[in-house]
Amino acid sequence: MTGAGPGVGVPGGDVHAGGGAHAGRCVTCADAAEWMRVVEIDAGNETARCVDAHAHSETVATELVGAVARGDALLVHAGVAIHRDARSTAPEDTADG
Amino acid sequence: MRFTHEFRDGKLGRALADELPALVEAGRTYKLMEVCGGHTHTIYRYGIEALLPDGVELVHGPGCPVCVLPMGRVDDGIAIARQPDVILTCFGDMMRVPGSHGSLQEARSLGADVRMVYSPLDALRIARENPDREVVFFALGFETTAPSTALTLMRARRDGIRNFSCLCNHVLIEPPLRALLDAPGLQIDGFIGPGHVATVIGAQAFAFVPGEYRRPIVVSGFEPLDVLQSIRMLLAQLAAHRCEVENQYRRVVSWEGNPSAQAAMAEVFSPRASFEWRGLGSIADSALRISDAYAELDAENRFSVPGAQLADPRECQCGEVLAGEIKPWECRVFGTACTPEHAIGACMVSPEGACAAYYSYGRHRPVAETV
Repeated sequence: MTGAGPGVGVPGGDVHAGGGAHAGRCVTCADAAEWMRVVEIDAGNETARCVDAHAHSETVATELVGAVARGDALLVHAGVAIHRDARSTAPEDTADG
Repeated sequence: MRFTHEFRDGKLGRALADELPALVEAGRTYKLMEVCGGHTHTIYRYGIEALLPDGVELVHGPGCPVCVLPMGRVDDGIAIARQPDVILTCFGDMMRVPGSHGSLQEARSLGADVRMVYSPLDALRIARENPDREVVFFALGFETTAPSTALTLMRARRDGIRNFSCLCNHVLIEPPLRALLDAPGLQIDGFIGPGHVATVIGAQAFAFVPGEYRRPIVVSGFEPLDVLQSIRMLLAQLAAHRCEVENQYRRVVSWEGNPSAQAAMAEVFSPRASFEWRGLGSIADSALRISDAYAELDAENRFSVPGAQLADPRECQCGEVLAGEIKPWECRVFGTACTPEHAIGACMVSPEGACAAYYSYGRHRPVAETV
């Protein structure tokens, strides 16, 4: 993967081609996904505002990973979370990255 | 940065590389195929090939969905984009993929309203904002991306967005792998499996590779140490005469995958009887179409498209590259007539395409960044 993998205090740290640090790469071609941290939940719309390690913020659809909590680490592909890392929900993790 | 730099640690990388020769039988050749374009990019960017023992060769597989998309489907997208009151949306690299008479980017320069999006949900937002226009999402990608499209179509239906539809080009990973494994004369000793596809469909989806074809496969993450460790795991299997699915990317991938994502795909998509793959030809049950239950959101029902099957340009050898038969630089037009700026073949369009990756990190940057 190119670019600096964001890894917001979570395992992995792969990349995407959204508006953040990895803009310019094709999200599908790379099979790319990015770790993002949940900072605000909109349960009614099944979305969450998330940030990556570079403080880039985006709204992420969360239907496919079940209920999320503030501080959760989500693996995001094309604006949709495809994996939630339950091990990374500790508050101290959120400061990393 | 935690959990990222660890997987790019040069000392660990060299230590891993130092373990490889002991796993290799002198005089034997090992061909390992990385299925995913993301892995191809990592291999070139970090100079992983230079760390491998003599006799171990990496072969670049068909895992870049832009690279395997046939020209006829590009033409279909352009035909829709040229229709009045249409906004055609697509992922970034799709813009430059050549069809028989230009690309979507060139169609835009001639007046078509073609817009790049990061997510299919962005395309749906554009539809909400432009109720007097028909908004079409040119969907493509493997099982990693298909759930995003499925979710978008479910939301479009739920919210009654009637000016939105999808031109579906989603493909599946198992059928082309089977096609490669069924090809006579193909000599692949093991596979580096696609980590994010496996996040959705689970590592279990690759059990057919050792089970039916007697080849080991290791589902891999995308950082350089992930790939090096996966190569080590493959060589260890081969040395021990084992043949299994192993999961190097355990921090993300489970055996079962993501059941919600699988359910979304099952609700919205049905298998296509056949789909044409650049370089591999038509493969049965290898792609997805919009299911009958969502037919009103299928752009192929809403618009007339040429639907032609077109041969690749004669000088282009993308097919042989995608089948692992030749290396990118062995193509007759690599780096001369075909460059990232003026791509003839799709493998040169996407940064994850084998040709573009080699062009960027190999031929023209002989001193690769190494772990």
